[in-house]
Amino acid sequence: MLGDIGTLVLQGAMISAIYALIAIGFTMIFGVGGILNLAHGALIMAGAYIFGILVRETTVSWIALHPAIAFPVTVVAVAVLSWGLYQVLVRWVEDNVVITFLATVVVAVASTELVIYLFGDTPMGMTLISGALNLEPFGINARPRYVQFAGFVVSWIAIGLLWFYITKTDDGRSILAASMSERGAQLTGVDLHSVRAKTWLIAGALAGIAGIFLGSTGSATPLMWLNPLALAFIIVVIGGIGSIKGSVVAAYFIGFLEQFTVTFVGQGFRGILSLVVLAIFLLYLPQGLYGREFVHD
Amino acid sequence: MISTILLLGTILSTVPGRIEDVAGSVRRNVLLPIGQTLDRLLAPVDRALQPVADGYNRRLGTYFGEMTGLQFALIFGALIALLTAGLWAPLVSGSLLRTLALASIWAIFAMSWDIQSGYTGYISFGHSVLSAAAGYTTALLLVHVNPELSLWITAPISVLAALVLGLLIALPSLRLEGPYFSLITFVAVLLFYRLTTAFTSLGGIPGFSSPDVFTWDPTMRYYYMLVPMLLIALALTFMARSNLGMILVAIRENESAVSAAGINPTKFKIWSFALSSIPMGIGGVLLVGFTGNVDPHTFVIVDNSIEMIAMAVIGGMSSILGPLGGAFLFEFLNHEVLHGFSTPVRYLFLWGLVLLVLVFARDGLFRMIWHRLGAVRGENE
Repeated sequence: MLGDIGTLVLQGAMISAIYALIAIGFTMIFGVGGILNLAHGALIMAGAYIFGILVRETTVSWIALHPAIAFPVTVVAVAVLSWGLYQVLVRWVEDNVVITFLATVVVAVASTELVIYLFGDTPMGMTLISGALNLEPFGINARPRYVQFAGFVVSWIAIGLLWFYITKTDDGRSILAASMSERGAQLTGVDLHSVRAKTWLIAGALAGIAGIFLGSTGSATPLMWLNPLALAFIIVVIGGIGSIKGSVVAAYFIGFLEQFTVTFVGQGFRGILSLVVLAIFLLYLPQGLYGREFVHD
Repeated sequence: MISTILLLGTILSTVPGRIEDVAGSVRRNVLLPIGQTLDRLLAPVDRALQPVADGYNRRLGTYFGEMTGLQFALIFGALIALLTAGLWAPLVSGSLLRTLALASIWAIFAMSWDIQSGYTGYISFGHSVLSAAAGYTTALLLVHVNPELSLWITAPISVLAALVLGLLIALPSLRLEGPYFSLITFVAVLLFYRLTTAFTSLGGIPGFSSPDVFTWDPTMRYYYMLVPMLLIALALTFMARSNLGMILVAIRENESAVSAAGINPTKFKIWSFALSSIPMGIGGVLLVGFTGNVDPHTFVIVDNSIEMIAMAVIGGMSSILGPLGGAFLFEFLNHEVLHGFSTPVRYLFLWGLVLLVLVFARDGLFRMIWHRLGAVRGENE
């Protein structure tokens, strides 16, 4: 029993860290542009596959990079991909919420077909850091892998950097301003278009990191965008749309909840409890934990 | 790295201007003359057909919308073509009847999605749940109650199940505004999918293969799908052109104005969802009769919901007949034109097409053609 709780805390904390990365990018884009980016999961998938191609020797033998080099390359690549998605597609349709919605979801579905076309149906495995820690001597019945620890640490570094950028630099504060009141930001000389593009860049980078860790803790599959997207939805609604703090808190809440279900109820019920929690939040607290009512301006 | 990004940025920012220039000259020098020539050729035809259309307009125009001569010819021609497809389709291609039958089922889905999401602007990502409810009800009745149950018993119960599930989703979620509704419907699909895989009594991934197909004869099968589709199209067009449709569009355009006019928008949104659940259920029953198998892949997965949205978008949202045309175009491209390619390539092409329509022709292809046909004589209503 005690061992179970130890496992729960350990695994829960590590999985929640990744969830936080998934959700922050999603909530930032929603907060600034009012755009629900349903292709966010596709960007996460892109991160996993790009990293997989770069580090694996079997796909393209001459570019088998060391994971430490492949990591930043992947993050930059996904960030540019996300930025490109905004510049090429979303900015032309963002005036109509419904069209943006549909366009991004079509991108997500198309990404699955592209991945199947390029890499086939079979899951692609990859390693960031190999090895695992044996905790049996300490009475905890788990073998957390080093890559999970790395995920936890990287997640908090990324959150810390983002927090610093958003609250301490002028550049970042313009993002915050745009998410609070677009008109107010415009009146103080913020270029909304470039702020939005910047948000997509940052969200892409975070999605890339999340993708790398999802890919290297499990494997990359053509349908792997679906679950992170659903998680991002759930976390963002619970945390409050547009609130970064809320996303982190809700990510940990959902992460532990899922781990609890897996440990004590069964693997098959993994997502069901969080979906129920989501439904309760939508009905009774739709603005979320740290959300605010939308200001009509 | 930073400088490359900046360079890329400057290049990209000059591109749109140039694209607009090119598009403008193409429009002036190519599209406009073609359009004018077509207008000149078609105007006499339109004028010649006008008396026939007027006859229709006098009797039925108030219920289903008025048409010009060419529009009437298009609808009438398409109807004749569909009704006689049993005779001519086998001559064109061996698989065409199957494609048309499948397209009829998907047309039902796309139209049902349209009366709810296209008209009210509340986008549902979970319409496949409704058809799945009907399909699974049929399968469960056959497996657990009596494998000999006739279609006359299972079909109404299945449609009722779709309606009940639709109300179950609609009642709480349609009070929510904007994207939250879409989120709930999206979650509903995922939840349904998880349930089918978590509980073995729901068949798991392989699903149920016990329901029988309606018939093995391709011609009969086609008419089994076509006739309900046409009746549903007729009924939904009638509703969409009535005051109900007007209120639904008003909800999409300005919900607070609808409330201010003393109309309860939530009530009408729930109505439209119920109105959409019933044909979804019928479509689900037909899909069981078409495939003879009820499993998550054919019925539940999110891709199904996205596919019906794609059809509605290609054809033109909020027009009922647009999604109908969109479904036939989508399935025709998918199973006939792109037949030789592998599945991922086909779908990549189709999704690309949907994106192009979303960016460049938001009103959809069929609505565009329809309005163009209506204006060949230069009248703009």
